[in-house]
Amino acid sequence: MVGGILDGVENRESSPVVAGMVDPAHPPSRRAPLRWAIGGVVPWLLLAAGQAIWISFDRRLLWLHIVIAVVTVLGAAISLAVVPLWRYRVHRWELGPQAVYTRTGWLVQERRIAPISRVQTVDTYRGPLDRLFGLANVTVTTASSAGAVHIAALDVAVADHLVAQLTDIAAIGAEDAT
Amino acid sequence: MTAQTGWQRLSPRMLLVHPVHELIRELPLLIGGLVLGQTTGNQSWTVAVLALTAVVGVARWVTTSYRIDADPESGQVQLRAGLLHRKVLSVPRNRIRSVQTDARLLHRLLGLAVLRVSTGQEARAEHGFELNAVRVDEVPRLRAILLAESSQPVEPTTAEPAASSTVLARWQPSWLRYAPLSLSGLLTMTAAFGLIYQTGAIGPLQHSRLAESALQAAQRLGIAATVAVVAAVVFVASVLLAVLRSLLTYGNLVLSRQADVLHLRHGTLRLREHTYDMSRLRGGTLRQPLLVRVFGGAGLDAVMTGVHGAGESSVLLPPCPRSTAESVLTGLVGDPNVVTGPLRGHGRRAATRRWTRALGLPVLIGAALAVVTALTGTSVVPLWLWTAWLAITAWCALLAADRIGALGHRVDSNWLVMRAGSWERRRDCLATAGIIGWTVRQSPFQRRAGVATLVAATAAGTKRYPLIDVPEDQAWAVAAQASPWVADSIWAIR
Repeated sequence: MVGGILDGVENRESSPVVAGMVDPAHPPSRRAPLRWAIGGVVPWLLLAAGQAIWISFDRRLLWLHIVIAVVTVLGAAISLAVVPLWRYRVHRWELGPQAVYTRTGWLVQERRIAPISRVQTVDTYRGPLDRLFGLANVTVTTASSAGAVHIAALDVAVADHLVAQLTDIAAIGAEDAT
Repeated sequence: MTAQTGWQRLSPRMLLVHPVHELIRELPLLIGGLVLGQTTGNQSWTVAVLALTAVVGVARWVTTSYRIDADPESGQVQLRAGLLHRKVLSVPRNRIRSVQTDARLLHRLLGLAVLRVSTGQEARAEHGFELNAVRVDEVPRLRAILLAESSQPVEPTTAEPAASSTVLARWQPSWLRYAPLSLSGLLTMTAAFGLIYQTGAIGPLQHSRLAESALQAAQRLGIAATVAVVAAVVFVASVLLAVLRSLLTYGNLVLSRQADVLHLRHGTLRLREHTYDMSRLRGGTLRQPLLVRVFGGAGLDAVMTGVHGAGESSVLLPPCPRSTAESVLTGLVGDPNVVTGPLRGHGRRAATRRWTRALGLPVLIGAALAVVTALTGTSVVPLWLWTAWLAITAWCALLAADRIGALGHRVDSNWLVMRAGSWERRRDCLATAGIIGWTVRQSPFQRRAGVATLVAATAAGTKRYPLIDVPEDQAWAVAAQASPWVADSIWAIR
């Protein structure tokens, strides 16, 4: 039984100097890069299809076609090979006894921590691609719209276990700081 | 507690108010009807539109009713409304966070007030719970019933705040001197022009005698003089409008405190009253736009749960002398250091980033101009362009210097203070108990510079309070000092 974290007012006068934070321990599912690669490349494929239709009707402005084709190929290559692996190296999550902590992003990186005692809802989301790869995304919301913690691309079993743990620890709705 | 359980109608005096407001709301339609009547020579169009709006207004009153459950814990407040689309709005009574009243001129003449109830979940006004309208003498009783769950009921304070309450601030005519320094006048003019344009009144105006004579005058004056005259007229009008708007909105403002309830009333013609529960207050923001700051002014916003963080609903004090705003905030916060104490700066790397961001574009433009001059000879780039470039670059440099001076924070176990900005400088004072999440965000440039943006998430105010370009190694230290649950977490490195 974990009590309200912010109830411990008497502990507050001790102000330990924290030098930093270790990164959370768990990576997302091994299938996550594949899912991100496919999700990332689909828009580029649509663009390529549009270009193919365009060039079959209109062959003037050849230089423009070449420029757009090069951009498309580069974009597709980056979203296929670079972004998913980079993302996989960055993304981490961990559930502690008092808080949930994540690291997300690739170019712009975010580390976010939220206290479990202030959790309002725990949502699981599975899109069509996620279902194809047996993945699930978990979103932990608090009363602040700026404080929702997103844990992306987990194995379904891991996600289910996480949700069960979270709802078990958190006395949801008891103290949400509103 | 005298809570009633049956469905109740709003005040029957609204039968007079609704048709008038309906007319104002359907003004474009009415103007359309008038124009149609003029052109067809058949004024029955106008009459038809008038009659329709009146009927709709009456129907609104007939179809609207509300009820308040007796039990303050599990009961609900419900509002049934809608002419064609029936809807029932239900608000759990224990979720009510603040109660406001609003009386426009017509409401005041008839002794009525609109009563709004807001909850913590959604603070947007459009979806809010609104009783339009009840009699003013019923308001204190309703407010007491609705806020029964939070602290003691409010004394009936319809005219002046009761003797037991302390007045924190009272509006002075001298506050108006900060009003012309805002852009609100210009915005009002733009909005008015947009409205005129939308109603289609611009079409007939274009060919009117007035427009033609103005055009002739402009031709006589020449382009430069015309632009100068128009600019002067717009400037004077925007200043006058801004002062007038400030007077109408914030005139007669009284901010008072009665035990745990904060009471704000303001407005000369349209009277607005807000009642805030102090236990929902999570701090305050001192806002100092550049022009207001130059003349020693500051505004005060409340950081509160259940109240929208931006815009008029959170304003406690409009731009007023800085000492007034500071003393009121000190009274609410209880620690003068939080409001006026020195801050810890963010160091050299944050300063470098301010310089590169402010001067990057001007330097690029300057280089481009220099290249063009060198390649094609001196005559291509006129002298005035260089003068303008110099002025803009100097202005950007001054802004950057001011931003660097502003950037800073202060943290202890109870309060987090953040100051930033030049054009819109703000000092956010946030109670650490209300912080329910931390984000450390780094763009590639920030990673290279070794700084990070630390975002405190809270359920109050604007929800997101960023502290930009904190040195990387300090970011988590600030979070840990403010929130023991960060310091005690399994990831903290001591």
